[in-house]
Amino acid sequence: MAERQSPLEPEFHVGSHGNFEHGVEILLTETRPGSIVQLAAWPGEEKKLIAAIRTVTGLALPDGAGGGSSDGVKSVFGFAPGKFTVADEAEGLAAAFAKAVTPAIGTVTDLSHGRTAIRIAGPKAEWVLAKFFAIDFALPAFPVGAGRSTAHHDVFAQIQRTGADQFDIYVFRSFARSFWKALCHASEEVGYEVQ
Amino acid sequence: MSPRRTDTGGRIDRLKTIRFSFDGVAYTGHAGDTLASALLAKGVTLFGRSFKYHRPRGLLTAGVEEPNALVTVLKGEVREPNIPATMVEIHDGLVAISQNRFPSLAWDIHAVNQLGGKILSAGFYYKTFMGPVIGPLKGTRFWMFCEHFIRRAAGLGSAGSAKDPAHYERMNAFCDVLVVGSGPAGLMAAKAAADQGARVMLADLEPRFGGSTNWSNETIDGAPAADWARRTVTQLEGRDNVRLLPRTTVWGYYDNNTLAALERVSDHKEQPAKGEPRHRYWAIRARSVVLATGAFERPLVFPGNDRPGVMLAHAAERYANEFGVLPGERIALFTNNDSAYRAAIALKKAGAAIVAIADVRSELSPEMRKLATEAEAEIFAGHAVVATEGGKALSGVKVQRFDMVTGALTGDERSIHADCLLMSGGWSPTIHLASQAGAKAEWNAARQAFLPPKPAQQWIGAGAFTGSFSTAEAIAEGRAAGLAAAGGTSTPAALPTVEAVHGDPDPAPVFEIRAKGKSFVDFQHDVTAEDVRLAHREGFVSVEHLKRYTTLGMATDQGKSSNVPGLAIMAEALGKPIPEVGTTRFRPPFAPVSIGSLAAERFGDLKPERLTPMHDWHVANGATMYSAGLWYRPMIYGLSGETIEQAYVREAKATRESAGIVDVSTLGKIAVQGPDAAAFLDRVYTNMFSTLAVGKARYGLMLREDGFAFDDGTTWRLGEQDFLMTTTTANAGKVMQHLEYFLDVIWPDLKVHVTSVTDEWAGAAIGGPKARQILAACVTGTAVDNATLPFMGIVHGQIAGVPVMICRLSFSGEMAFEVYSGAGHGIHVWEALIEAGKPFGLVAYGLEALGTMRIEKGHVTGAEIDGRTTARDLHLDWMLSKKKPFIGSAMMDREGLIASDRLELVGLIALDNRPLNGGAHIVEALDETNPHGSIGHITACCYSPALGKHIALALVQAGKARHGTRAHVSDPLRNRFGPVEIVSNHFYDPEGTRMHG
Amino acid sequence: MLITCPYCGPRDVIEFTYQGDGNRERPDPASQNFEAWNAYVYDRLNPAGDHNEIWQHSGGCRAHLRVVRNTLTHEISSVAFVRGDHASAARRKAEDKA
Repeated sequence: MAERQSPLEPEFHVGSHGNFEHGVEILLTETRPGSIVQLAAWPGEEKKLIAAIRTVTGLALPDGAGGGSSDGVKSVFGFAPGKFTVADEAEGLAAAFAKAVTPAIGTVTDLSHGRTAIRIAGPKAEWVLAKFFAIDFALPAFPVGAGRSTAHHDVFAQIQRTGADQFDIYVFRSFARSFWKALCHASEEVGYEVQ
Repeated sequence: MSPRRTDTGGRIDRLKTIRFSFDGVAYTGHAGDTLASALLAKGVTLFGRSFKYHRPRGLLTAGVEEPNALVTVLKGEVREPNIPATMVEIHDGLVAISQNRFPSLAWDIHAVNQLGGKILSAGFYYKTFMGPVIGPLKGTRFWMFCEHFIRRAAGLGSAGSAKDPAHYERMNAFCDVLVVGSGPAGLMAAKAAADQGARVMLADLEPRFGGSTNWSNETIDGAPAADWARRTVTQLEGRDNVRLLPRTTVWGYYDNNTLAALERVSDHKEQPAKGEPRHRYWAIRARSVVLATGAFERPLVFPGNDRPGVMLAHAAERYANEFGVLPGERIALFTNNDSAYRAAIALKKAGAAIVAIADVRSELSPEMRKLATEAEAEIFAGHAVVATEGGKALSGVKVQRFDMVTGALTGDERSIHADCLLMSGGWSPTIHLASQAGAKAEWNAARQAFLPPKPAQQWIGAGAFTGSFSTAEAIAEGRAAGLAAAGGTSTPAALPTVEAVHGDPDPAPVFEIRAKGKSFVDFQHDVTAEDVRLAHREGFVSVEHLKRYTTLGMATDQGKSSNVPGLAIMAEALGKPIPEVGTTRFRPPFAPVSIGSLAAERFGDLKPERLTPMHDWHVANGATMYSAGLWYRPMIYGLSGETIEQAYVREAKATRESAGIVDVSTLGKIAVQGPDAAAFLDRVYTNMFSTLAVGKARYGLMLREDGFAFDDGTTWRLGEQDFLMTTTTANAGKVMQHLEYFLDVIWPDLKVHVTSVTDEWAGAAIGGPKARQILAACVTGTAVDNATLPFMGIVHGQIAGVPVMICRLSFSGEMAFEVYSGAGHGIHVWEALIEAGKPFGLVAYGLEALGTMRIEKGHVTGAEIDGRTTARDLHLDWMLSKKKPFIGSAMMDREGLIASDRLELVGLIALDNRPLNGGAHIVEALDETNPHGSIGHITACCYSPALGKHIALALVQAGKARHGTRAHVSDPLRNRFGPVEIVSNHFYDPEGTRMHG
Repeated sequence: MLITCPYCGPRDVIEFTYQGDGNRERPDPASQNFEAWNAYVYDRLNPAGDHNEIWQHSGGCRAHLRVVRNTLTHEISSVAFVRGDHASAARRKAEDKA
């Protein structure tokens, strides 16, 4: 099958940019997962959905709102009551979940094309993200694995912390290039590298 | 004699020379200088001309409260006016100019306004420019006529019109404790909170932390106070739970302990570093705030108190100790309190002669007498300054015996030769942020000042802000505040010890010396004590009226130095105590804020935009892009030399003759999933969806609760419990929220999930007589013939190896198909369709051709579903099911919504063969001189290649009954009048034979 | 103004959409009682003081919230999911730092 085209392509310039002479403090990349799926449980069926997530991905969800985890290949996090985003490097996640998540448990919505996953990492990741989102990125308030849904102006974003200084941001594909440009611009002052 | 740089002292670096210019003259200063201190060091005392009278003005202060020395800073083409010279850090290449003078600061022609001083009193413009009652310049027209000349003569600096190339930024911050102000109280608070492990932010509007330690002669723990401050700052710098923000003005205190601050990141640099913003707007959410904002010294009000050379006592202390600049050689002081004596000592130490201290109090404490002796100053106890002498610079002052109780002046005036007069009228705590946070300030009679109110939000005050003016108190209160803000308890460690000159913090209650001559209260707006009394005499006695009538406190400094003296004078005129007169509430911003920092990244190239998967193809293929909301869509694909009309006519014609393709990826798409999805759609749409077979699509109409039409689109049934709803591009977000509202709030029992999948799918609509052949040429895995893919049928197949979903539906009126693929495959499928279409004459068309074909077909869009039309108005009543209730069904039959004279959708044909205009009104008979009597208006118009005519859709009163009759367009704004024929909105192929094939 | 979303924690008001008076009672869908429909569609309480409002966290989890807000002070005295069956998804106290 034809490779999926990235919405960032004309604005995706591999290399170091901005004020990088004193060192690069931000790494930006597009993670391009093969699958991005949204799962939503009917009220009262959340535990069964969480069990299904574990069956399909092997990932255990910690308790509580916005809880999540990632093994570097697959990632999952809650972003709304009873709702979860799951991403996988491989394609075919929606089909796998269609079997595990029965109509009695909830619904599966394939968003593999519809969301673009951008990774920002580095010592200044919190600093740069704070320019966009009015949420607290400090580690105690936003632990590794956890997810948040928020917005930057009209750009909806789901953000998962996948490392102490690493975040994966899921944005609508149509906004991705615009958001990417803004992210690069905001990273200029600290020096950034696109990988 | 004039001001000069001292040989030693100050926090400037005499080894670093900086070159800048002011009013075209080259100057040098040192690193650490402000524009004010650097110019003062070069003997410059004249900084500006006053607002109304064009009086010469010099520096009154050394800080953010400066009302006089406002300058315009030029950076390339960009000019930023009204910046206090006291807040401009000099850098190499800085260019600043003075304001409100012509032709020059020294020779200003408007200075003649001073001669007419009696006339230009409060309310002068209101009274004079009301204008005659009759005639061509009656009433406000006279003002409008004169305004231009007045505005040119009066006022501050002018803004530039060049585009500001600087980059601004917004930053969201969270902390446990925000400390505002970095004087001894702020530093102690920050340190105490940080020691507790709290996340601390420390902001100060000055470039140097330390507040008064930078210019006091005090010692803390045996070392100069500034050394202690620097040590403390160094300790804070090394901690990762502390963020230090110098050059940052916290200007707003909003609900929920949210504060706004402006960081001037690179104004003090010749060039910002790469990517560095000019200003950064901080939105700070703090669990608690320590307000350690200090206090402003007040001027005294007496004749000639605005002459260059007259300055606040502590400001002179700052210039001497912080900047190494003596503001004069022979200095006199005039005070109502003890703090000025400290300044006298400081200036004496810095090398000036202190020629006199006039104190309104007749009884002076032995300590103050001792300080005066130490300063070798002649003491005038129970005296006041009644006049200042000199032209553009002070040459002397006159003092006279003064009775503090009666205000009477007696005895002979005595002249004292002085080139600088320092005044101190007591101190006003900087309570602005506490006031913004939502509580009323409280008058303290002992301090003769408004003290901060009881906190209405989570803040704690410390230091001079609370009216505790000594450094020892500031240190103790600062530590307590920092601890409490961090939720800690008291630590037993000893507080730093302070050695300082001790004085009484309470001033004498004297604000004004009433003698002959102009005595200024508000220096920036040129409001005198007499103006305040005039306002009182004319009945403007409330503090709010006083403010508006005299404009007291309404200038860019927001009355930082003038509010309390103004109130005191009004209180005296009213014969009431000050607290009964009241004070106006402080509002954000504390100090002027750049608009750029508020707009930040929402502006220009960084404005968010939405692009379809085929965007780059459109641009590469000559499309003129059109912004529709945040989306960018092709308007036309113009060939060279084509006009817009030629292009869309060609595109529409080609589509009707062979085939056309258009990007419809922007249509709103919502996945509606769950066991109750069909039942839910029955409630949401006016027509039935539960009866729709899997693999089929249906056109649906939604109403609002009030019965008016809301949105339309097709919904595809992909599975028993799985629907794909499409909405108009513009309403995608609104429809989504509408559905979510009903599912969450009204029908929580329905098991339905809705998800925006607009971005999941790329959509291409391909239509025209050859459309099916083109699909047949490139689609695999399914047939596309009439039996397999009937009207409103859906099939799944592949194009160029990727999965597609094809639905046969038509907006153009031709045999047409919507081809959906995963967005990441959108361009791949689009290019395959273009390639397959080449032998068939396929053209890509844009929004103009799309609009043209929909007008020809009489389909409605947002122009007709405008929130005021009903389904009946749009002839969509056939879609209103009678078998079920739906959203809007109860309200849609109200009397007014079924009236016979409602505006109804019709078609119009221009009988004069000229283009029609959107928004033009329709009248029954034409009367160009009286173009009234509208019976409706045009919602959309085009040249129709299919009909060869200029046509339009319109909403016309009882329109259906008028089919076949004549009317006229009446568009006086665009001077377009002419006959039209009213017809059905279905201009083209009303039977739909083309799309049914 | 901040609204503490039970799922997402305290967020700026800019992330929320006001969805109207929370005191409205939607009549039975089949009802033809015009007065009841009229009251539902048009009548609003507009009190000076505590007001029962519906807000959607449209820039976050998109849940609808029942918010009691003082119209004079903006003080919010309670926030809860409109859907009772979401209660179990509320943010735990320990994580209430955001």
